[in-house]
Amino acid sequence: MLLVAVVLAGMVWARLAYWQVVQHGQLTLQAQAQYRELVELPALRGAIFDRNLTQLVVNTTVYSAFVSPDQIAATQRDAVATGLATVLGADRPKVMATLESNVKFAYIARRFAKAKADQLRTLKLPGVGLQEETQRSYLPGTSSGSTLAANLLGFVDWNGDGNYGLEANYQKALGGTPGYISSYRDLANREIVLGTHTHQDPVNGQNLVLSLDANIQYAAEQALMEGVKRDRAESGSVLIMDPTTGGIVAWADYPSYNANSFNRTNTALFKDNVLSYVYEPGSVMKVVTLAGAINAGAIEPGTVINDPGVLNVGGYRIYDWDRRNHGNVNYTYVLEHSLNVGAMKAMLAEGHPAFYKNLEAFGLTTPSGIDVAGENHIAPPSAAKMQDSQYATTAFGQGIDVNMVQMLAAINVVANGGKYAPPHVVERVGRNLNPLLLQPQRQVISAATAAKMTTMMQMVVQHGSGWTSRIPGFQLDQCGKTGTSQIPVNGKYTQDVWSSFVGFLPAKKPRFTMLVVVRKPHYPGSENDWTLNDGYMTAEPIWKQIAQTLVVSWHITPDKP
Amino acid sequence: MQVAGSVAAERLRLNVFGHAYVGVGAVVIVVLFYLAIAAQITQSSYDIARLQDQQRQLIAEQDQLRYQEVTMHAPAQVQQHAAQSGMQRVIPSRFVTGQEVAVDLSAAVGASPVDATPLWLRAVAVIANTVAGTRDVMASTKK
Repeated sequence: MLLVAVVLAGMVWARLAYWQVVQHGQLTLQAQAQYRELVELPALRGAIFDRNLTQLVVNTTVYSAFVSPDQIAATQRDAVATGLATVLGADRPKVMATLESNVKFAYIARRFAKAKADQLRTLKLPGVGLQEETQRSYLPGTSSGSTLAANLLGFVDWNGDGNYGLEANYQKALGGTPGYISSYRDLANREIVLGTHTHQDPVNGQNLVLSLDANIQYAAEQALMEGVKRDRAESGSVLIMDPTTGGIVAWADYPSYNANSFNRTNTALFKDNVLSYVYEPGSVMKVVTLAGAINAGAIEPGTVINDPGVLNVGGYRIYDWDRRNHGNVNYTYVLEHSLNVGAMKAMLAEGHPAFYKNLEAFGLTTPSGIDVAGENHIAPPSAAKMQDSQYATTAFGQGIDVNMVQMLAAINVVANGGKYAPPHVVERVGRNLNPLLLQPQRQVISAATAAKMTTMMQMVVQHGSGWTSRIPGFQLDQCGKTGTSQIPVNGKYTQDVWSSFVGFLPAKKPRFTMLVVVRKPHYPGSENDWTLNDGYMTAEPIWKQIAQTLVVSWHITPDKP
Repeated sequence: MQVAGSVAAERLRLNVFGHAYVGVGAVVIVVLFYLAIAAQITQSSYDIARLQDQQRQLIAEQDQLRYQEVTMHAPAQVQQHAAQSGMQRVIPSRFVTGQEVAVDLSAAVGASPVDATPLWLRAVAVIANTVAGTRDVMASTKK
């Protein structure tokens, strides 16, 4: 009897010891979970400003409404459904179905404005709750379907993560570090603020100051939209750079998207064609080719060559765009009239190794490294593996793939006295200056070569294919070069083209460098004459319209003669 | 003395009970005081929570107003308002004129620049470039 009592008591004690000693930690955690709560204190995401400190992105609070059907009496369902349908515009039968279901929690509407939330609060509907959420709101763009600089800025998804563009690239700096508060709750699940708790303050995200100019950005987007529509093109992009610093002034894509409603946007539009789209730059490349050859001492702007309109290279016959015999011409004429044979002869005069080193020095063989997410880059074959024919076509911008940032940064070398200004968008992160701005710039070509190329590019506007870009008063003081290259599909060139125009002004002390690319334009009448799709008919008018806005907005005056 | 001492002792014993009552009373007062303070703290914490909620709403309203303000200054909005007011941006057509700087293509073209580098130096450069490769673009610049 005693033994039985001892055994039974032992079993009880053992069970007690099990719960009190062995399971102590686990039970403590479960108990704490009931009255203690760890609340994340979200960090405020940093704002983004343009160069004039115009705010481009604002954090706003939006609300989501949810219901707990098991807390709503059957007699109240009708009133709750009516209230939700009236304020939020929800589908009443659907709401009723949710309320009559066995679910514990269901969203009725997501991310609506504060005004609606206030209306809902006043109704004091039972079993209906409001959840606060932060949303990034972007400025309106050229049309209701787009926001300003959407492809450059990217957007922030509902989890608070930056997607695409600067929002993705600067996620860590913008996002900050969330804090937390561990506090107690009473039986009614109300927080006891003054109870024992631990508290860690959040570290808010840092603000970004960009080199972008919101007014120029808007003007660029507007001119681009009109140009792409007029040219019946597939798409187009504009990139404007400060020649001395490499800071991006405008970064426009068309078509673009509305970052405020990214969840309802075709994801194909998120792609940024400035940085993610590689293309063959065409004759714009002749600036790089001739600059390298002049710098190497292989040619001079006045050096005369014979251009019969065709050249045999590596077993291929490569023609000028017009297939005409131009006779004896100098290199200024070659650039003015965009002659492929001249560009190939300059490359040959310089030699393959020096030409390849020239491509490297101009930054065309490596990614630009710009501080925006999603750069796409196709490296050319190594110097040894490049065929003679590819050297030849690269000299006039076919057979080499670049993105717009690479190409503009390369041309900007001429505008910047022969120095390579690293392209960048962000000038300041918080209080810190972008370290790129403090580094010395790489000298690619001599200042004398840059000056010669500048004069040659002036001649393009005065006598050559750049004539449609002339701005009244600046005709003698602006530099430019067109580019038109056929688009290859499955290894064969098609009749569709990438047409582009690059230029800067004033010639001696440039205030901006701008590249416009129009993809697959179908200019009115080009069915009979494909040259109407050339850069001088499609990209140049867009360049001119934006440049005129820049001249007026930035008070640019021509150089003194 | 003996009698006086026993009376004092009796009083002292009563005082011990008295102290017990006082002690219990004090404990009750402390407990009540604690409860009152705790209730006050809890009430205050609810007030703080309510004020925090109010603050959150005010911040939300401020954000909304900030967005409205920023949007009103946005180029798109400015242009829209300008257009509604009948204003239009005019591109200036008059600028300061400059002197023409143009190459006369019809003029006789001179001979190509002659490379004055001695033949032996060119041969050395060819060998050096083949063996070591050119250092950079600037290295090959003709002085």
